[in-house]
Amino acid sequence: MEDVKGMLTGQELMQRIQKNVGVPWQSQRPDGFADGVNIGNPETVVTGIVTSYAATVEVLRRAVASGRNTILCRETPFYSRGERAPTAYRNAPAPPKELTDKDSVCRFKQDLISENNLLIIRFVDNWDARNTNGQLRGLVRALGWDQLSHNRNDDYSTSAAVFQVPVTSLGNLARSISENLKIRSARVIGDPQSSVSVVAVTHGVILVSDAERMLRERPDVVVAGDAVEWEAVPYFQDLVTAGRAKGLVLVGNEASEDPGMLEMARWLKTFVTEVPIEWISAGEPFWTLRNV
Amino acid sequence: MNTNTMSRRKFCQLAASGIVLAPSFGRAYQQPNAGPITAREVVQRIRQHVGVTWRTPTADEFKVGDPDASITGITTTFMSNFEVLQRSVAAGNNFIITHEPTFWSATDIISDLKDDPLYQQKLKYIAENKLVVWRFHDHWHAHRPDGIFAGWNRVMGWDQYAVAGTTPFSHEYVIPETRLEDLAKEMHAKLNLRSLRLVGNPDLKVSRLGNGGHYIPQCMNLLPRVDAIMVFECREWEAAEYVRDAIAAGQKKALIQMPHEGGEEMGMDECARWLRTFVSEVPVKFIASGDPFWLAA
Repeated sequence: MEDVKGMLTGQELMQRIQKNVGVPWQSQRPDGFADGVNIGNPETVVTGIVTSYAATVEVLRRAVASGRNTILCRETPFYSRGERAPTAYRNAPAPPKELTDKDSVCRFKQDLISENNLLIIRFVDNWDARNTNGQLRGLVRALGWDQLSHNRNDDYSTSAAVFQVPVTSLGNLARSISENLKIRSARVIGDPQSSVSVVAVTHGVILVSDAERMLRERPDVVVAGDAVEWEAVPYFQDLVTAGRAKGLVLVGNEASEDPGMLEMARWLKTFVTEVPIEWISAGEPFWTLRNV
Repeated sequence: MNTNTMSRRKFCQLAASGIVLAPSFGRAYQQPNAGPITAREVVQRIRQHVGVTWRTPTADEFKVGDPDASITGITTTFMSNFEVLQRSVAAGNNFIITHEPTFWSATDIISDLKDDPLYQQKLKYIAENKLVVWRFHDHWHAHRPDGIFAGWNRVMGWDQYAVAGTTPFSHEYVIPETRLEDLAKEMHAKLNLRSLRLVGNPDLKVSRLGNGGHYIPQCMNLLPRVDAIMVFECREWEAAEYVRDAIAAGQKKALIQMPHEGGEEMGMDECARWLRTFVSEVPVKFIASGDPFWLAA
C-alpha cells in the first residue's frame, strides 16, 4: 500500500460509522444478521466503498471492475432476512446451511466474494435509527418531491412523509412516479381515474399498522415499496371500497430502498475521505408483459 | 344474549373472538334451523367430506357472524375483501367461505384493530347484512389432491403435465417447450392476471416449471430441476434476487412472480364445484377477488 497514512480497514470503517451515526449503536441481533461485516475479513484494507440496496452478482462485479472491495448493503447477499422480525415482514426462515452450501447460486456468489477479497457489510437497523431517515429522504429526492411543500416530517424524523402534489389522477400519479424512479413494474390499487393530491410516502414493506398511522394524515394515496398480499394489500382494497382512500402505489422494495443507499453514500463521504465512495443501484429486478 | 343492548365494543370483542357470533341486530328471534341449512351444518359436511383429520389449531374457523343462522347462499372466494362481501350480498349469498383472512392478518387478529374505522365499517356491514364468514385454508390445502392446486391445474390445463410424486407446494410440471414471454401471456389470460412480474430472458425456452411456494428455501430446492420457478407471492429479497443472481451466474433460469390470487384463487372455484356435490340446499357461487393490482407503466 503506497499511502499507509490513508489506510482504512473494514473494522475501522465500522468504528467510524458507529462514531458518526448519531444514535446509540444497537447490539448484535440473535439471528446473526446484525449491522456490521456480514462476509469477509474485517481487517481487510478498504480500497473503495460501494453502497447498494443489495449485493447482487452484478453489483459485486461492477464493484470489482471499479476497484472497490467494500459493499455496504441493505439486504443480505444470500436472499434471506433470517428470523428478522418474521412476524412483521412475513419472510421465510433462513434456508438451512446445508441447503445454501450446496446451492449453485450461493456457491457462485461466495466464490466471487472470496476470490476478490470482498467485504460485505450490512448497514440497516442503525442507519434507519438515525434522527434523519436517510431511506425516506433518498426516496423523496428520487421522486423529485423534495422541493414540494409537505405538511409533516420535513426533517425526515419518521419513516413516512406527506405531500401535497398538484391535483392529478391516480393513473397519472403512478406513471409519473414510475418515470421518476425509472421503474417498469409499479403495481397500483385503486381507480386510475380517481383524483388525488395528498400523497403519503414510505419506504420498504408497508404493514397494516404503518398504514393506520399514515392514514391519520388523511392521504388520498399511499406510496410504498411492497406489501403482504393477505395484509396491507386487501387492507388498501378495502379502504378504496369503503371510500376512505383512493389507492396504493407499490413501487417495489428495491425501488423504494435503493435511493436511500445513494443518501448513505453522500453521508459516508462527510467522514470517509481516504477512499472513493459510489452508489451502485441494484436496479429493478422485474419486467412485465407491458414493457418486454 | 340480547345483542340489541350489547355494547358495540363488547360485540366486536365477542364477534372477533369467535365465541358469540350474533349479527342478529334488530331482528326478531328466529329458530336457528328455520331455513334449509346453517353455516355450521355446511362446515360439518365439509369436515365429513374433506378426507383428512381436522387439525388444531387451525385457521379454518368462523371469523364473524352467527354460524347457527340459516343461510341464503354460499360464496367461495380467495379473499373476503369488502368488495367480495358486497358482491355476495348482491348475489343473495350471506355465507362466505374464504381462503384468506377477512381482517388483514393470517389469523384475523383484531385486538389491534378495535379503533380502526375501516375495521368498524366492515364489521358493521357484515352485521347489517347478516353475513357469516368462515375460513377454509389449511384443510383445503390438506385435501388430496390439494384443492387449491387442483383448481389451478384445471384452469391451466396442466394436470397432464404434472410430475408425479411432487408435493403441493413444490409441484413440478413438464410442459411443451415455449418462450418465457409466450408462457407468461398464456398465464395472464388463463389466470385472469394484470400484474405478472418476470425475471429472465423473454426468449428463454421453458419446459420444466415448478411451484416455489412463497419462500426462498423452496425456491433453492427447486431451481436445479426447473427452467422457471413460479411463485405466488414471495418477498422481493428472496426469489427475485435469487433468480436474477442465478442468471448473472450464467444459468438459464427465470422467475414468474404472480399475485397470490394468480396461484390460488382458482382453487376456490374448485371448492365451489366440490361443495355442490354435497350441499344442494342453497346456491354456491365462486366470486373472484381477482388480481388486486394494475401496472402503472
